Order: sequence, then structure tokens, then C-alpha cells
Amino acid sequence: MTAVHTTDAAVPTNSSAPRRAAPGGAPRRRGSAFDRLLPYLLLAPALVAILWLIGWPVLSLLVTSFRQLNLKELTRGQVVWVGLDNYTKIFAEPEFWTITVRTVVFTAAVVAVSVVAGLLIALLMRQISPVVRVVLQIAMLLAWAMPLLAATTVYQWIFDQQYGILNKTLVKLGFDGFAGFSWFTTGTSTLAVIGLLIVWQAIPFLAFSLYAGVIGIPREQYEAAGIDGASAWQAFRNVTWPEIRPLLLMVTFLSLLWDFKVFAQIWAFKKGGPDGASTTLPVYQYLEGISKSHFGVAAAVSVVMMALLALLTFQYLRRLLRQEGSL
Amino acid sequence: MTKKVTANVVGVVLAVFFAFPVYWMLSSAFKPTKDLVSSDYDLVPLSVTATNFATAWNKPGFLGAMGNSLFVTLGAVLASIVVGLLAAVAMSRMRFKGRKQFVLLMLVAQMAPFEALLIPMFLMMRDLELLDRLPSLILIYFAVTLPFCAWTLRGFVNGIPLELEEAAMVDGCGRWGAFRRVTLPLLGPGLVATSVFAFVTAWNEFLYALSLIKDQSKETLPVWLSGFQTAFGTDWGGAMAASALFTLPVLVFFLIVQRKMVTGVTAGAVKG
Repeated sequence: MTAVHTTDAAVPTNSSAPRRAAPGGAPRRRGSAFDRLLPYLLLAPALVAILWLIGWPVLSLLVTSFRQLNLKELTRGQVVWVGLDNYTKIFAEPEFWTITVRTVVFTAAVVAVSVVAGLLIALLMRQISPVVRVVLQIAMLLAWAMPLLAATTVYQWIFDQQYGILNKTLVKLGFDGFAGFSWFTTGTSTLAVIGLLIVWQAIPFLAFSLYAGVIGIPREQYEAAGIDGASAWQAFRNVTWPEIRPLLLMVTFLSLLWDFKVFAQIWAFKKGGPDGASTTLPVYQYLEGISKSHFGVAAAVSVVMMALLALLTFQYLRRLLRQEGSL
Repeated sequence: MTKKVTANVVGVVLAVFFAFPVYWMLSSAFKPTKDLVSSDYDLVPLSVTATNFATAWNKPGFLGAMGNSLFVTLGAVLASIVVGLLAAVAMSRMRFKGRKQFVLLMLVAQMAPFEALLIPMFLMMRDLELLDRLPSLILIYFAVTLPFCAWTLRGFVNGIPLELEEAAMVDGCGRWGAFRRVTLPLLGPGLVATSVFAFVTAWNEFLYALSLIKDQSKETLPVWLSGFQTAFGTDWGGAMAASALFTLPVLVFFLIVQRKMVTGVTAGAVKG
């Protein structure tokens, strides 16, 4: 706040807004040195923080990915350049490709399910009675507010082999095979449970955002569509869809960023197991880096992750940048 | 008519789907162990006990971890709100050279994959001699939340007409006075929504807390909770009580700011 505070004392003379508002900027000379400096002063803390705490680590990650950096080199402070060795090493590993494909498929599935479900719930909220709507909204708020690790623990309890309510219920319903059934013997079912957990926690944000978009659409547009004899589907296609498309793209983009990087839930469930079958790229780079202290290799994995994420979001980011450019 | 009924039924089913895990956590937390491990179960606890809460509360480190989490989270939120607001005001209210580039930087910085930056962060914190110290987490959570906060707050400042400030200045306020008396109060919901986002992000963070902090007295709640499970094996009652203790503060906070938050998050984040 201090940076702003100084303006009070320093710019009493120039009270007009620092915008192009004043026609003919020439007379605004006095005190303008500070005026021209002010935006940079306000931005400085953020700029320094971003360059130092994000820019520098990204740069050093790139550099590290070309070094051999294990515990030995780390403690001795040795710098051993190995060129592309780390990359050729991970690319030669069939496991790496399995994990990469798994990560992309898992992310795509989780994002698709949660965005579609979020949209459907947003549309549903417009249809239901106010009481049910409030109940549903509070329920979603509960899921949203639950801390990640707490939610993970609860899901582990629900899916517990011996005492979980899911197995107990299935047995009660007559599916005796589920007595003592383990949901975590294969990577696919482990990831399915984790995916359910992620979707459950992701939907509320999506549903609320999209609902805000949906109720923002003027009612007259639907009335006009009704007069033209449009069916419910046609009304959705021609009225709802064009209005919420930008919003939908935005939340899909955010979901992609968030879900691609999921680590805590996967780690807490089975640490990427059984036998690495639920390992995704973030888990893989953690295992390589922190557990095995192969920092160079892990850095290479991370760089590949960033490249993949950039690739996945490239189209959308370009759109967004173009929009921003017109501002 | 039937269509409306169907929609409402679906709504109720969904409400149960979302609320059930939370309910199951609470009801399990109050059940005695023998009820938890029996092959039968009751949806409503027949006998209620506080033993599980006592176990969780008395497990070493709970209050310490709560304190650590609060310290780290509030520190990071405060820093990114203050720094983010300064940047947001500059981006939204002022025209200067390099403005567009800075706005782009805020967008791109939101893409930084922090899970992938673990190793350089580790080395950086080592060089700063911040390993195993809580300020390292404050710095990192600050960096994680800052771009989003600045970006969102920019949207909120954009939403407040500049004319209001100008009118206040005509009435004799200085620029800072006009900002403080007119714009800042109107920014209330935006500041709440943005803080909630930053709060949840920092409160939940697990990877860095796990990797950079080895000293048990400095662990945060997510790490404490993850340790609970291995330490107690199958004590699900204790784990549920611990989860409930972990959830309750956030839940109360969420319900209080709920209205402002929901409109805020969407208006700010999405309309940019």
C-alpha cells in the first residue's frame, strides 16, 4: 500500500485521471515525471515477484534439464553438462510413453466429464424450483470447500476394501462378490476412483460459473425463439450456446491447467501404484526428482510436461492473446 | 409438469451425490470403532462418541499444524492481494508503455506448472537458506496465487466506472483519497472472492509442503493429515475426525462469504 500512499502527497496538483481523458495532453506537463513513473512503481512488486519466483525457476529448470544432476553432483556443487542425454534417456523409456499417454487421456477424460456435467447442472439449475436449487447449491458448496486432502481421505474411506460403505452396500444389494473387493488392484480402477474424486470437486466451480453465464442471457431471446417455434434443443443451439461459448472455453482452459497437474490426490491414494499403474507425469517427475534424486532427468520430464501443456492449450491461448491485444 | 418434477428429482439426487461424502465424513467421525468395522452399517449413527475427535485432537502436531497452515496461508494471501491489487490498478486505470506486455505476462504466468518447478524451487530455497522454514512456503504460495489474483482484481477494477473516482476528485479528494473512499469499498466483493481463491489454493497445497519441510513441528495440515493415515493404519474414525477438523474452518468461512464469492469468482475470473 505504501507505493500508492505516496501519491496523496506527491500529486495534489494533477488531479485529473491518468488516462487519455484530457484532450490535448500537452498542458499536463507539471508533475508528469512522477505520473509516468507511477504505473511502473505499482507494477514493480508484481513484476519482480513473477520474474524472480516464476521466471527464474522456469529458466533454471530448462538449464538443469541439460545437466547430469544427482545427489552426488548436487552436494559437491559440480556442473556436468550432458546435452540432450536426459531427454534421450526418458524418450528411450517405454514406461515414459505409457505414462505420458495415460496422463493425457486421464486429463482429457476428467476435463470432459466435469465440464459437460458442470454445464448440464448449470442448465438444470435454471429449471428446478428455488428450494431444490438452494439445496443443490449448498451441497455443491460443501464439496467445493472440502480441503483436498480431507476429500481424498474420505474417498479412501468410502472405497475401503473391508469397511467402506460402497462395498458394504453392494453386498447388501446382493452383489456378494464385492465383499472385501479391492478397488485399487489395477491402475485403471485406481485412476477411475481418483477421477471421480476430482470431478466431484471440480464440478461446483464449473457449475456456478456457467450458471452465472446462463442466467445472464436475456429472457427476451428465449421468448423470441419460442415465437419462432424453436424446440428446446434449437433454443439451446441458437440462444444458449453462442452466449456461453466464450465462458465455456475459459473454464475448460482453466480445468485443463488444473487437472493436468494433479498430484496430491494421486499420490495420497496409492503413490502412483499399484506397480506404477496410476503414475502420471507429475507423479513421475516427483519420483525421479525427489525420491530418486535424479534431478536432471526429472527436470527433463518437467520440461516435456510444460511443452505438452503449452501444446494442449496453444490454440486457446492464442485466441485469448488476440482478444487481449485488442484491449 | 412431469418434466419439472423430473428436473427436481435429478436436482435432489445430485445434491445427495455432492453432500454425501461430507455427511459420511461427519457421521463416521462420531461413530465408535466397533460400528465402523462391523459388516453392517447405519446411515444415521445409532451411538455417538467423541473419542475420534479426542484422538485426532491429541495426535501430536494438530494445533501446531493448524497454526503453521494459517500462518503460511494468510501470509501468502495478504501478499498476493496487496501486490496483485497494485498491479491491477496500474493495468486497469493507467496507460503506459509496456502495459499490454505486462497483461500478457500475467496470463502466461498463470500457466506456470508449479508441480514441475519443484526442483528449481528446491534449489532456490536452499540457496536462500529457507529450506525447512515456513517463509519458503509463503513465498511459493504467493507466487502461485499472484498472477491469478492480479488478473482477477484487474477485472474487478475494470468493472468500477472511472467517473466515480473523477467525481470524487472534483469534490476535492486527491487521487489516493478518491481511490480509498470510492473504489476500494466497491472492490469489497472482488477482494473477498480473490482472497478465497488464494486461500483455498494455499490451504490445500501439498507437494511443496511435503517436499520442502522435513521438520515435523513445521508441517502444514495437509501433510499432517496424510501422516495420520499411515500412523493409525485402519483407524478410520480418527482419520474422519481429523478430516472434519481440517474441513470445518474452511466450511464456515465458505458459508459466510458464499454469496459474494460465487458472484465474485465468476464475474472477476471469467469476464476479465
